Amino acid sequence: MTAEIETAMAPTTKSPVETARPFAARRWKRLRAALTILATQLAILAAFLSLWEHATSANSVFAFMFGSPSAIAGFLGQMVRDGSVFRDTYVTGLETLLGFFVGNLFGTLIGLSLWYSRFVSRVVEPFIIALGSIPIIALAPIIIIWFGTGLVSKIAMSTLSVVIVALVTSYKGAVGVDPDQINLMRTLGASKFQIFRKLVVPASLADIFAGLKLTVGFALIGAIVGEFMSSSEGLGHAIFKAGSLYVIPKVFAALVVTIALALLLTFIVGKVERLLMPWRRQI
Amino acid sequence: MTAQGADRELEGVMSAQARTAEPPLVVEHVAKSYDLDGRIMPVISDLSLILRVGEIISIVGPSGCGKTTLLNTLCGLLLPDSGHILWHGREVFGQPQNVGYMLQKDLLLPWRTALGNTMLGLEIRGVATAEAEDRGRAMLDQLGLHGFADHYPSTLSGGMRQRVALARTLVNEPDVLLLDEPFASLDFQSKLLIENDTVGLVRQGRRSLLLITHDIEEAVSLADRVIVLSKRPTKVKAVYDIELGSERTDMMAVRENPGFSHYVRSIWADLDVVRQ
Repeated sequence: MTAEIETAMAPTTKSPVETARPFAARRWKRLRAALTILATQLAILAAFLSLWEHATSANSVFAFMFGSPSAIAGFLGQMVRDGSVFRDTYVTGLETLLGFFVGNLFGTLIGLSLWYSRFVSRVVEPFIIALGSIPIIALAPIIIIWFGTGLVSKIAMSTLSVVIVALVTSYKGAVGVDPDQINLMRTLGASKFQIFRKLVVPASLADIFAGLKLTVGFALIGAIVGEFMSSSEGLGHAIFKAGSLYVIPKVFAALVVTIALALLLTFIVGKVERLLMPWRRQI
Repeated sequence: MTAQGADRELEGVMSAQARTAEPPLVVEHVAKSYDLDGRIMPVISDLSLILRVGEIISIVGPSGCGKTTLLNTLCGLLLPDSGHILWHGREVFGQPQNVGYMLQKDLLLPWRTALGNTMLGLEIRGVATAEAEDRGRAMLDQLGLHGFADHYPSTLSGGMRQRVALARTLVNEPDVLLLDEPFASLDFQSKLLIENDTVGLVRQGRRSLLLITHDIEEAVSLADRVIVLSKRPTKVKAVYDIELGSERTDMMAVRENPGFSHYVRSIWADLDVVRQ
């Protein structure tokens, strides 16, 4: 009798161990999938680089036109040794960050506050579309006349590249709030400002961060275009100078650094997003 | 009990006395239509009802009969074309006070925890954080969500989320609850359990409840009165006083009462659902 009970109980007492195993297996499976993806990406990169290296080592015209991975690596090493890469990255990074902050700050503030008044948002809509359609490069000569050839003109270029995008994405987030949710706030007795602060702003965060991720790249493009027009330092300056001297591997070397900077900034925005929206982590 | 608690209790007694004199909600000949690109579409043609203190009324009607329009009109989110809506004997402009509102969608804010969502109304009314937290926690405990106060909605099941929504409604101690198909998306078990809790808390607090639903069994099992609406343009088609004992709080046991199926069948016939 007792033995019977014991055998009947056995599966239930064992179950914690048994449920732990599939969890570990699932975790291992997920890790393996991630590693496979990474390995495939690295293989593609290696294949691409070796093909490039091979093609350019056989043909000197190719080598001149396209550089080669080994030459690019050589220039990168040289840029690190003479310290120019740090200075250029610092300058371009600073311009990008300041443009990114100023542009997103004003764009987001205006975009969110347009939620407040349907009248104002409808009045300004065509102006915003018009401003948004201006190619920022076309403004560069004027920006230099207005702000000079120093740091400020690059920050201005960067800001302008960001501000309309930030405005549109945050406005879209604000007007996309579920009307039922607004009604609920109203029945709870919320004032318009309370609805704005407790509902509209947090509900727009996802769109705002989508905008932030997008505008990291735009801010960097703005800064580099600004440096193209006139500058004495920065990654854009290095690219422009190497390009006009036909040192193509050096152009690529500076581009590699620019890409690394863009990846770093995007990574930081992603981290901040996770920090500011903890409720998205637990899903 | 703290002084604050005693105060609140006194307040409750006083408002209970005030409430016995006046039904909290009177609807007189309300009509409402929509303007669809110049075409006037009448939704509610003529609707009157009285919701008394401590009373539970269910409203059922065929699909698309304007139940949600009715609810939004009662809440002051829409203006009626004609007729009067009296809250505690007075016409109100804007949102009526002490009314709780709950929909099929839980409308929980994903960035707030269960407790944060529950406290929303108290926070809006400026109740001190410590007190709001205590009341929020107590309400969640009462609804069987002890230990889930700090969970985000995305980690809760549908039934639990709807319980949080109910807690958010009840923590404001509303005199009247307006519920629009609040349990329609839940599975049968969760639904029965939350219905039991809702009725228990409504009866215990001498609150009034207006429940809009598609579910005839839900309507009959919860209510003192069931109002059947006609097709659009809507008016009252029939009214049933449900005599299954007003102190019932077990929605499963009610279904075994022989009267129950009788009511359900009559209301089903009233709804006049055409079989294709």
